Amino acid sequence: MMQSTPFNFRRVFLWICRIVLAAVFLYAGSAKLLGWGLHLHPSIESTKLSLLYFALQVDSYQLLPPWAVQFVAHTLPLAEIAIGLLLLIGWLLPLWTTLVTLLIAGFFATVVRAYLLHLDINCGCFAKPEPLTGLTVLRDGALLLIAVLMTVFAFQESRRPHPWSASKSDQPV
Amino acid sequence: MIRRPLSGFATIVVFVALSGTLLAALPAQKSQTKKTAFAAGSSSQAKSAEAAPSVTTISVGGVNDIDPAKAFGSKNAPVVMEVYSDFQCPACKTLFTSTTQKVMDNYVNSGKVFLIHRDFPLPMHAYSRVAASYSRAAAHIGKCDEVEQALFRNQEKWEMTGDVVGTVAAALSPAEMKRVQALVDAKIFEPLIEKDKQMGQIVPVNQTPYTVLHTKSGQTFPVVGFVSYDVLKTFLDQLVAQK
Repeated sequence: MMQSTPFNFRRVFLWICRIVLAAVFLYAGSAKLLGWGLHLHPSIESTKLSLLYFALQVDSYQLLPPWAVQFVAHTLPLAEIAIGLLLLIGWLLPLWTTLVTLLIAGFFATVVRAYLLHLDINCGCFAKPEPLTGLTVLRDGALLLIAVLMTVFAFQESRRPHPWSASKSDQPV
Repeated sequence: MIRRPLSGFATIVVFVALSGTLLAALPAQKSQTKKTAFAAGSSSQAKSAEAAPSVTTISVGGVNDIDPAKAFGSKNAPVVMEVYSDFQCPACKTLFTSTTQKVMDNYVNSGKVFLIHRDFPLPMHAYSRVAASYSRAAAHIGKCDEVEQALFRNQEKWEMTGDVVGTVAAALSPAEMKRVQALVDAKIFEPLIEKDKQMGQIVPVNQTPYTVLHTKSGQTFPVVGFVSYDVLKTFLDQLVAQK
């Protein structure tokens, strides 16, 4: 008979982190790809327009040359959607959580730089006009903290067998 | 052996439920935003009517309250570009010298973009309002470009000394400067600067430079801060090519 999984705070926290970050990444990627903040009618043309509009927001950080701005603007939304789905599926979790943490750390560093340089720009995080403020920095910092904890817990969980998949000899008596 | 039979599936179910709730809340939020914008627009228009400027404004491509002396290009252009700027803001200077000038040369002069310069002097800048007044007066004697160039290019000098008048005078002939000074003293165009500020507050502009791109189909794209010409060019090409 199948046993119920014993309550494990670390596993529950890992689940919550996965769902929260997956939701954030899926929303961010879809918003940029489909131009949700711009109220565009869904079409290939509007997707192209939406990505070019996102390029303007990437460019406002004054960090990359124009070709790199276009590359980031056209690949980041798809990468965000892919990462969101991989976090939900849970396959090779330590790998994807590490990647998510690195990505969020990159976002955080970029946002902190823009904030310290007093660049009065839009965050561009969710493809809608959203001024980059101290709250944006705090939000990205909180997401980074969640991502770091999720990665640590994902590695710890990957080292010990799941109660459902462990053989009887592995289980504590 | 059973290997985590439901974890992935359950996660997806929970996520779909969360997304559904989020999406269901979106239309209500959107309509509320529209209502707020409409209400703000009505009250601002009433205030503008009270101000009763002596100079008439025009409407192009659904954009109202445009001072024709501070707007350039064909009124039938497929894209209308509004630039809210402050003469004392460094990012506005960079946008003007490296991007807006190129947009003027390649898009405005070819009839693809109708460009509107909006004054949005920020309260934290001591001389930006004075600079806006001189620029506006100069625009009304046909010297908009010369004075805007002089003000932006010499921004570091006059913002230290406050010598806006000297900077403007250096870009004009004595006769032109006399006319500009008379217009500034008469405060004829102050309501137009106020109107630009009111328009900006409706957008809402909370920092400069702030660019709003409008298309014929009614789409609007706000762009905050500096943007390089190459990246803006790709976006403008796409907007112009839109049917």
